[in-house]
Amino acid sequence: MEYFRSGLKSVLGSSTPGNQPTGAEIVERLVSRVSTSTLLEDRRDACRALKALSKKYRLEVGAQGLDVLKQVLELDRSDCEIIGYCLDTLCNITSKETFEEENENNINMNVNVGEQFTEMFLKNTDNVTLILSFLEEYDFRVRWPAVRLMTSLVSSKPKDVQDIILVSPMGVSKLMDLLLENREVIRNDAVLLLTNLTKSNANMQKIVAFENAFDRLFDIIKDEGRTDGGIVVEDCLLLMLNLLKNNNSNINFFHEGAYLQKIPPMFELPSNLEEIGWSPQKISNFLCVLQLIRTVVSPNNSAQIITACQKTIRNTNLLEALSNILMASGVPADILTETINAVGEVIRGNLTNQEYFANVLAPSNPPRPAIVVLLMSMVNEKQPFPLRCAVLYCFECFLFKNEIGQELVVQTLLPSNSGMSNLSMGQILCSGLFSNDHLSIWFSAVALSHCLIENPAQKEQLLRVLLATSLGAQPISLLQQSAVFLQHTSKLQAKLGIMMLLAQWMSYSPEAVRVFLNVPGSMAFLTAQTSASEFDNNEELLQGLCAFLMGLCVLYNDNSIQNYSKENLSQLIEKRVGIDTYCKKLVEISRHEVYAKAAKQPQIKAKHSSELLLEFEFCKLLKSLEGVIIQALGVQRELSNGMSELSLNEHENALLLQYKELIRDQDKKLQDMQKSINNLQKINHTLEAQMKELQDTNTQLTDQNTLLKAQLAVNPSVVTNGPIQVDSPVQHSNESVLLEKIKILEQEKSEAENELNRVRKDQDDLLELMTDQDSKLNNFKQRLRELGETIEDDDSDVENNSEGAENES
Amino acid sequence: MSYAYLFKYIIIGDTGVGKSCLLLQFTDKRFQPVHDLTIGVEFGARMITIDSKQIKLQIWDTAGQEAFRSITRSYYRGAAGALLVYDITRRETFNHLTTWLDDARQHSNSNMVIMLIGNKSDLESRREVKKEEGEAFAREHGLVFMETSAKTAANVEEAFINTAKEIYEKIQEGVFDINNEANGIKIGPQHSPTNPSLPGSGSSGGSQGSGCC
Ligand SMILES: Nc1nc2c(ncn2[C@@H]2O[C@H](COP(=O)(O)OP(=O)(O)OP(=O)(O)O)[C@@H](O)[C@H]2O)c(=O)[nH]1
Ligand SMILES: [Mg+2]
Repeated sequence: MEYFRSGLKSVLGSSTPGNQPTGAEIVERLVSRVSTSTLLEDRRDACRALKALSKKYRLEVGAQGLDVLKQVLELDRSDCEIIGYCLDTLCNITSKETFEEENENNINMNVNVGEQFTEMFLKNTDNVTLILSFLEEYDFRVRWPAVRLMTSLVSSKPKDVQDIILVSPMGVSKLMDLLLENREVIRNDAVLLLTNLTKSNANMQKIVAFENAFDRLFDIIKDEGRTDGGIVVEDCLLLMLNLLKNNNSNINFFHEGAYLQKIPPMFELPSNLEEIGWSPQKISNFLCVLQLIRTVVSPNNSAQIITACQKTIRNTNLLEALSNILMASGVPADILTETINAVGEVIRGNLTNQEYFANVLAPSNPPRPAIVVLLMSMVNEKQPFPLRCAVLYCFECFLFKNEIGQELVVQTLLPSNSGMSNLSMGQILCSGLFSNDHLSIWFSAVALSHCLIENPAQKEQLLRVLLATSLGAQPISLLQQSAVFLQHTSKLQAKLGIMMLLAQWMSYSPEAVRVFLNVPGSMAFLTAQTSASEFDNNEELLQGLCAFLMGLCVLYNDNSIQNYSKENLSQLIEKRVGIDTYCKKLVEISRHEVYAKAAKQPQIKAKHSSELLLEFEFCKLLKSLEGVIIQALGVQRELSNGMSELSLNEHENALLLQYKELIRDQDKKLQDMQKSINNLQKINHTLEAQMKELQDTNTQLTDQNTLLKAQLAVNPSVVTNGPIQVDSPVQHSNESVLLEKIKILEQEKSEAENELNRVRKDQDDLLELMTDQDSKLNNFKQRLRELGETIEDDDSDVENNSEGAENES
Repeated sequence: MSYAYLFKYIIIGDTGVGKSCLLLQFTDKRFQPVHDLTIGVEFGARMITIDSKQIKLQIWDTAGQEAFRSITRSYYRGAAGALLVYDITRRETFNHLTTWLDDARQHSNSNMVIMLIGNKSDLESRREVKKEEGEAFAREHGLVFMETSAKTAANVEEAFINTAKEIYEKIQEGVFDINNEANGIKIGPQHSPTNPSLPGSGSSGGSQGSGCC
């Protein structure tokens, strides 16, 4: 500190002892020296001092010095030293972090100073262009701080900086050239800068890729020793991931540019790996490479790209490399898990790759198929949870659109094949299905259900599977056993798993439905569950799934069991559960957050095992059949109602026509009103958005105001009179302009609020009117019904109808 | 899979003139009847053969809408070839050519080969720009010219391939600095950069496969 002061003294000239100047005063003097000195030397010294103060007196330096610093950047650009000081200073004042020195100063500000200064700096887009131009200066004192300043700006205001760089020609080129830097600090910082810059901006990602980013990055990775390299390798891989994620155009480019071919060398494991082990950095690097592979074959990508990349991955022996890691010993669990996920996505829906994978053997004694070994860990409670999830996902990927694979699994369970080793895929799954670990039950049930998707032949084959129960007892079929087990297990997770299996099995399969209905108690179980009223903790999922299974029993019923014919089951639902309740329970599933989570992507994603309840393919099945079931039940009801226009006499017919006319009229009115409500809602929406915007501007202005006030507070010497007067005329006029703006904005805001209230009231009126019309409509319908007319149902009057039906019975 | 050269192209021109359709016809041999507005840029690639050499074309199809103009500019510098497209059924797209050309010339490297394309030649009945006008414009500005139809695929192959031939010839003549990737040209992985003109031996190589025009 003492050194500091003496340094300052030499810059400022010695001040009278005992009369220490305040920080604000020092800064003020320095700033004026920078702007008035004619000697470069002097300006340079002052800038050096400003830099030294820019952490501790960040607010003062930023508030008073921003303009001067920009001026120096423009006028003194030929002197690398002074430019370096300026850039460093700007870096400090725009930084997001709070400096220790700053806290000493005890200014408790609730605005983020760095962000505010960033915003001020970015107001003029030329400033960014200026910084970009400094990237071209080779001198280390300029180039490095320029990179860091860009990074600082991007991290506070990514969107703004992205937009500016996108429209400045060659902007990206200048950044890309930094990747060729031989001074590592600069190069490494440039990688980080580009990573921040390409976040969630597809256009930026594409330009960076166009500018040969992949070549540059692979070069760096290679130079740094690939996965054995340091954190810069990880950073390069993260940047690549940024460029590829959800960017089909770039993935296509990555594939066409033969960059996938550069990956296999990264998977080469040194022969002495077991001795040297896996360093944390190596694990991180490795995980990134695995994610890179997953990104290009992600199920979210377009089918064309997935297929092309899968093929290339096989042809370049990447799939082989992945399989080797799967079977190598001493691989950390994280990597193993991610490798399993990667293998899954590389083979998903690709017959050749699936076949390849089916033939991979584990180096066990005797050798077993890798799939078998993996399934064994899936049903092993001691294995880490994420690993078990990965295995299920990989297995699902193996079966996806793979009839041969599905058959392969089911076959191992058929009577002719029993007696074979008890370590076949099917047998592992069956033992998992009836084990004591409910997570294993869930995994196994879901795995088995995937053998049946869109495969009628295997649904039939699996019906033939018999299980030996206790000694001497009759063998029981797999479906029967599942149905019995369902009634007896108390664990929700296990129940849901079994029900999802049954649902896949019974959909589109009258045979399976028949077997299910013949299991004693199964219908009673479903009815009891569906009609139960109270539920706790995800119980509604169970009830919904029971309703779904009931629906499947109606839908795929060949009427071969007298008691449970289509019609009888429909009546059972209507009488015992009630159509309303039934529908409510059924649609409850797809509204559940568990459903939303599972339906999002094929991969099983859960932090904790208790979160595993529903599964992706089941969600798809449910969504596709939900409506069909509700419709089928409706149709069934109408048939049993047996009423038609034929049975009415002429007078009644005339009356009926009148009413129909009336209803049509009212329907139209209703629609019109709905439309106007929609319109009003839209207007409401826009107004709300506008208001939000105004509020935001308002907050911003208030923040700026606070900032300015704070500057005044720490710098009272410049206040002449009144709280808002500042010595600089520019600031002064700024201040009053801002106040003026705030006033205008506040006025606008209150106007918008008034408007909003008016619209809200209108909307309320309309809603009231609509309810009115609705009840009139219902009255008419009721009267029609009393006349014995059947009325076409639509969603809105299901309720009334069933009421009517109940009255009749 | 491996190639002797890799050329980077861009396709530019007003919105709706058929840039994306030309690319799709060239890479996938399909036609897309609905206008699917390009947002930013889209990438496509294909291998062609010139002078019995494999050449990989990497093509960036840009958005014609005004709002994307500045983004498009980022792609000029790194491209070896550009297809500048107008729609023969809409005169205004022809009228805008000078703006496009100025933009391209200003931001690209001076050796970039520009191919002028009058697209939608299948819509003869709705033609607003005569073929001769296109030819005249091309002659005046030193461009190669062709009329194409992305719908019937007429001249589509030729447009892309002839552009490549021009670039190839320029390489043979030593105009392009092939070791500077910023020119939009790369030499294939196993081809030595020191003697690029070895097998074709000079100018005869370029003329060999160019019988069609
Ligand atoms: N008849 C005919 N129609 C074409 C031809 N080429 C394109 N079109 C149609 O023209 C419309 C626009 O084609 P695009 O290729 O999407 O246009 P673009 O130039 O990519 O437009 P932007 O992406 O907005 O810049 C589409 O409806 C195409 O079907 C053609 O050769 N003949
Ligand atoms: Mg397009």
